This record gives sequence, C-alpha cells and structure tokens, in this order.
Amino acid sequence: MLQDERARLMTTQKHQQQYIQRAVFERKGATSYIGHLDLMRVFERAIRRAELPILYTQGYNPRPIMVFALPLGVGVNTEGDYVDVAMSVPINSEEFVEKVNYMLPAGVKILKAISLPEQKDSLMSLVTAADYRINAKSIGDVAPDILKFDSIMTTKKSKGKEISVDIRNLIYDVRRINEDEITLKVAAGSSNNLRPDVFLRAVCEKMCYSVENSSNSDICRTALYKGEYPKIELIM
Amino acid sequence: MNKVNISHKDLMSVESPGRYVGGEPNQCIKEYVINQLEQNGTCKEVRTAFCFPDIYEIGMSNLAMQILYNVINSEEYNYCERAFTPWHDMIKLMREKNIPLFTLETGSPLSDFDIVAFTLGYEMCYTNVLLMMDLGNIPLKSTDRKENDPVVICGGPVAYNIEPMCDFFDAVLMGEGEEMILEVTQAVKRYKDSGKRNRHELLLELSKISGVYIPSFYKAEFEDNYSGKEYFVDAVRIVKNEDGTVSEYPVEFSKIAPRQTGLIKTEASAPDIITKRIISDLDNALYPENPIVPNMGIVHDRAYLEVFRGCIRGCRFCQAGFIYRPVREKSAETLCRQGIAIEHNTGYDELGILSLSSSDYTGLKELTDGLLDAFEGRHSSLSLPSLRIDNFALDLMEKVSSTRKTGLTFAPEAGTQRLRDVINKGITEEDIMSSLKLAFSGGWGTVKLYFMLGLPTETMEDVEGIADLAKKIEKLYFDTVHELGIKARKPEITVSTSMYIPKPFTPFQWERQNCKEEFLKKQAFLKSRLKSKNIKYSWHDVESSLWEVVLARGDRRLNQVLLEGYKAGLVFDAWDDSFNFAKWTEILLKNGLSWETYAREYSTDEVLPWQHINVGVRKDFLISEKNKAYSETVTPNCREKCSACGANCFKVGECYASR
Repeated sequence: MLQDERARLMTTQKHQQQYIQRAVFERKGATSYIGHLDLMRVFERAIRRAELPILYTQGYNPRPIMVFALPLGVGVNTEGDYVDVAMSVPINSEEFVEKVNYMLPAGVKILKAISLPEQKDSLMSLVTAADYRINAKSIGDVAPDILKFDSIMTTKKSKGKEISVDIRNLIYDVRRINEDEITLKVAAGSSNNLRPDVFLRAVCEKMCYSVENSSNSDICRTALYKGEYPKIELIM
Repeated sequence: MNKVNISHKDLMSVESPGRYVGGEPNQCIKEYVINQLEQNGTCKEVRTAFCFPDIYEIGMSNLAMQILYNVINSEEYNYCERAFTPWHDMIKLMREKNIPLFTLETGSPLSDFDIVAFTLGYEMCYTNVLLMMDLGNIPLKSTDRKENDPVVICGGPVAYNIEPMCDFFDAVLMGEGEEMILEVTQAVKRYKDSGKRNRHELLLELSKISGVYIPSFYKAEFEDNYSGKEYFVDAVRIVKNEDGTVSEYPVEFSKIAPRQTGLIKTEASAPDIITKRIISDLDNALYPENPIVPNMGIVHDRAYLEVFRGCIRGCRFCQAGFIYRPVREKSAETLCRQGIAIEHNTGYDELGILSLSSSDYTGLKELTDGLLDAFEGRHSSLSLPSLRIDNFALDLMEKVSSTRKTGLTFAPEAGTQRLRDVINKGITEEDIMSSLKLAFSGGWGTVKLYFMLGLPTETMEDVEGIADLAKKIEKLYFDTVHELGIKARKPEITVSTSMYIPKPFTPFQWERQNCKEEFLKKQAFLKSRLKSKNIKYSWHDVESSLWEVVLARGDRRLNQVLLEGYKAGLVFDAWDDSFNFAKWTEILLKNGLSWETYAREYSTDEVLPWQHINVGVRKDFLISEKNKAYSETVTPNCREKCSACGANCFKVGECYASR
C-alpha cells in the first residue's frame, strides 16, 4: 500500500544536518495584533519569499523547522525576541537578515542574527526570565510597591478551570521609570511563566490600581534571558 | 486627511484585532495620493473603497476582491483600498465611540471616497452591505445621497438579480468586472476633473457604459391582486398534529402577494436590456501575481490560480453554470508562469486551482505537471477542489498531497439516476462506483457525498436512493479491500444534504421550492435510513434556505423589508447563530409579502424581476431545458454538442473554439 511506502521512506530518511540562524527581532505596529501562530506563518512566508533554503521536518506533514523562544501575546510588542530557523545549507547571517527583513511586513524586523552549530537545547527550553516595559497612566508610583507582599494570590485559567496561584516568586523586580512607566523582570519560559497581563491584574487587585488604566496600557517585551535567576544573561 | 485611529485599548478589547489594522505584504500604498490628502485633504485621483460584506477572514479569501483591487490600482489615476464588515464587538464599539467604518490602507472613512464598491457573492450578505454603508456615514438609499456622497456600486454573481437591494446602489455592474470597473473609474475621473457636482449627470454617464445598470432609471409595476393561483398546485404543507397524526394542507394562496407586471424606464436614454460584460481573452487579462498575503489566518489561506471561467456541463440547478457562460480557458503556459510567480511572490505553500469542474480544463495535465515540476523540493502543494475522480485524478492527488490522504468528495446531487437525468448531472452510478473502486484500492477510505433535497420532480424514492447509494458505497469499500487482501479500516462515508433553492437564470428559475415541512420530512427520513456506524449524515439548516430563495428571486418590494430588517438588527445572515428567520418572516408579513410569494411556482409567461438582464443564455433555451428535465432527457455538454443556449452572442470561448 502506498501509505506503507511512505512510512518506510520516513524511517529510512537519513538525518539531515541543520544550519541554524538564531535571530533577535522586534515587532510593533499592525503586526502586534496577530497571534503567535500567525506570527510564525508571517516568518515562514517571508523566508519563503526570500528564497532561503529553510529546512522542513520529515514525515506526513512537513513544516519548516523554526522555533520561537517564547510566544508573544496579541497586542504585545517586542524589542528582543528570538527565533531559530534551520537551513539546509550554511548561509551568511548578514545575508539572512537582509533578505528576510526585505520580505517581512512593516513592523516586524530582525535586528541581528548569528549562525549556530547544531545544538541540542531547544531555544524554548533556554528561556528563564523576561523584561517588560509597561506604559500606563500613573503606574510608576503604584506598581513597584507590590514587591512588599510576601504572597500575591491570583487566579489563572488552566485546562479550562480557574486555579489559584501565588505569583510573588515569579516577580523578580519592578522599577519606576517615570510616573507613567515601569520596567518589570519576571520568570518566563516553559516551567514558570508570568504574563504581563496577569501581573497587571494583580497590581489592580493588590494595589487598587485602576482597571481602566491597566487595560489602556502599552506592553513591550524588552529582553529574554537564560540561566538561573539571579545569574541570568541575555540569550544572545 | 481624515484618519480613523482606533486606540490600542479599543483594539485589545475586540476579538481578532488583526482584522482591523491592515499592513499586509503586497497591500497597495500610494504615497503620491496620501501626500496630497495630507496636504490638501483632497486628491486628483479617483479613490475607491472596495468593500466585502463579511469579516476580514472571509473577504480576504475572495479572489474577485484580489483581482479587482489589482486592476484598479494598476492605473495611476486610481487608488483602491479595502474595507470589511466589522464583527459584532467592533460594531458595538464603533457605534459607542462614533467611529466611522474605515479602509485598512489609509484609515479613511468610507464617506471620503469617490466610489464605494461592494462585491456580492451570496444573497445572505445583503444587510451587511447596509451596515457597512451606515457605519461609513453614507445615506443608505441612492435617492437620499447628496452631491458629495460617494457613488455606491456593486457587482458579483448575485448582482444579476439586484432588485431586492436596488434602492441602495447607484450603479450595478453586470458581469466580469476587469474592464468595466476601469470604464466606471474613468467616468468618475472625468466627473471629478470637471468640478461639476451633479449626481444625475454622473449616473447618466455611467448608464452609457455597456453592462452598467442604474436601478433608479427604472420603476417596477405590480398587479393589484395575486392572480396566478394555478401556479402553486403541488405545494403541500405537512403539519404534525398534537395527537401524533399528520395532516396535509394546501399552501395558503392568500399569503401570496401580487406579481410584478413590468419594469418601466423613467429615463429615456437608459437601455431596455442590460447585457453582462465578459472578458474575451483571459490570457491577457490582468491577474494578481502579487496578491495581498494576510498576516492573520483566514478561511482559505492559500494562493489561487483561476484556470477558466464558465462550465461546459449545464447542470440545470446550477446558477454558476449558466451565468458564467461561455467557457473561456487560459493557456497552460500562461497559468504555469503565473502560478510559479504567485508561489514565489506570496510565500504560500499551497496553490489552489480554481474553476468550476476543474477536470474539464483541457490543459490540466500540462499545467499540473509544469507546476509540480517547478515546486519540486519547495514544499509547495496544489489543491484541486473540483476534480472528477478517475485514474489521472487519483494519481495527481497522490502527487500533490504532501499530507496524508484527505477525503474524496463527490457531488451526485441526487440519489437516483432518474433525478440525476432531470437535473442534467452527467454522472452515473457506474461512474461513481468505478471511481470509488479505484480510490478504495489506492488506500482512500474517506468519502464525502453531497446531495440536494427538494429538486424538481423529487419523490421519496429519490430520497431513499441517497441512502441506498451510501450503503452501496459502504459495501463497495469492504468488497474492494477483501478482494485485494488489504486490511480493512473503518471507512468514513459522509452524506451531506442541502436544500434546493431555485435560482434566476437557470432552467429551474420558475420552479417552486419545497416548504419547510417537506424538507424536514425528507431529512428525518434520511436520518432513519442512515444508521450505519460507517455512515455519517449531516444536514443544513432549513430556514436559511427558505430565506435565500426570497432574496434570490426577490423583487423591488424587498428593499423595504431589508431596510427594516437591518434596522431591527438583523445582520450576518450567513452566520447560523446570527440568522433569525422568525424575525424576517414577521417583517415580510408586515409588508404584505411572504415566503410563499417567492417560493411558489412561477409561470413561464409571467414577468420575472430580473428579465431585463441578459446573461447571454436565452429564455427559450431555459424553457426547453426545463421541458427536457421533465422528460428526463439529458443535454450533452458544450464540447460534445452545442445546444445553442445563446451564449455564443459574445463570440468567444468554447462556442467559437470548436467551429
């Protein structure tokens, strides 16, 4: 049967060398209003338009081999997110940046890329912490004081159920930049992750901050880190 | 320049905000127009807002929009932008905050444009058109628009009978738009340059363009009382009594409103008959090789290649089969070149081959071979949605499918050979069985079968035939796998039925529609006959089909109904959870109309509301096809034998190729 032939082909296919381009990118403007899956497709199509030799997974449904460090929420900007893109032949990082940027829609831009030897750790598993910049009316004088609590209970949805969690340990630092701006350092990644909107909800609940102002905020992820807190360093 | 700015907070408060922000690759930004607008608030160019009356994800899947957007913008004097229907949450927000409906490219309110153009692909979008005009601050009725309001135009397949919506459009474009739309924008350009402000004069100019219909230049007349009782003789209403017994009632003739008696010209120079426009040379027609690629996921997220227009088949229920005549193909060479360019320019990994009945394309092998060759190693695939299943097709599907075997789809439309002959569906049970035997031998096990209930002359035997066919296919699956010694899986056979809706410009345009009770009885009957665990039965909602016939065969009296429906909040009729038939029925009755008025059988000598539109196919041909249907006689397809339908009046395509 034809399907069996395919299955055989799949298992006998020899392992292919991957040449990874690790890129740091920003996104702002119109492209901030799409979801994570949409952003992956935006990258995929830009790389295809750029005619770069992107590598595909094997199997019944080949997909481009592309790993993002951490999903970006709808409406969240970034100044420093990462994506690993596997190429089938080695290519020059400057060429990669130039060609892909030419094809990306306005608002998404690769700032820098490096070539990596094939590595075992997935980019996703590296992430441990993230910085955010939050602009919201009068937040500067309110939010930093949340650190004085020993415990910050808040609810989050997990598998359709609302569960109560303590997020205090996930908040590393909150700093006032000016009256309407703070920076935030929080746990991020696959094991522990605090989303900025959950943080803002806690600020509203604990510090009586205005829900109206919090929903009017601009959120931008400014950095992603690896390593165990407090010994963290930028991924790239 | 008026620019609508939706705040970050507002965007974050609605579902899928990506619908409202634009910014996609290949969207058209004309800096030289924007600069003028920013400096003077006006520009020399003709500004068109191209509107799709449904949400972004559906509108961006529409090829007509991509084609015409590209055609209009190819001219320097034009700037065409896009607008879609906002979803309920955004509508609410826009109303609360007084935000006008705007275009994605420059964020300009619709009222700032010279032309507001709607593409109408299905009847159920009508109230969304009104919603978009209203949100865009454009007076809904053509007669209420002032000198500075945009010219509101429309086109598309359902525009051939625009009468139910004709009060709301200044001009209607009949037929294929590629050439006509530029003639319209040129006329508007001359009008704009002249500095004159006289809408009537502009409409007179537009009426001189072949294919353009100005509804306000005509007036419909109706009889005083309905006088055609004899034309609803078959209709029976079956009602379940409380004690479980069933009663049959004849349809109430008192519910049928007076018939239209004529359409009178009120402007002497307006044409008596408006003949649709077609493109004679598709190879040289502009086709979007750089279509817009949405950033967010849409309904049909792939690139499209249109291979031909028209259909040689002539299935008697199918409106598309008649209104798109004659068949005109593009050359495989042109298509290969365009397909390769599109795959490269968009980054899509799937190219859809688009046409009615793709297997009838004479260059199919050359085209698919050429494209598959070019896509080798690029992880791009083809999708061929309307293939007849034969050896070639199966082989092709095996080659193009990068994923596992998807389901096979058949549309026998009717359960018995008798009824398939009535509707001129040139497919026999043998055809279906031999194709499926091939497919089952090749490892396929998922089959979808599409049927219609309520076709003319249908009896319960024909309905039973649907169940019989599904059972025969189930048996064929097991017989085939046993014969070949293949391990049997659980086959998945899906039977899907929709309700037949008689449509204008078909041989069945005079037929009555089944009533709700008849449809429900047939659905229940099929449900009881399709109990096998390998066969799944799915059916459509009856009520939306009842409303669709009203809109499809409607007349000018429906303008008021649609307006009242819109004002009562009835929008997104194409969405099951928004559609409210009870409310529509109430509004119809209030206006002295009813479902029965439009669902009854029509006489072939009565005035049809759409008879002033000429799609090429002649009335006497439609009548002869209707008679042949009743004598269960099939008509050969256009390539076997010309049946002289009238479409050769355009002197192009299949009609001339074979002579």
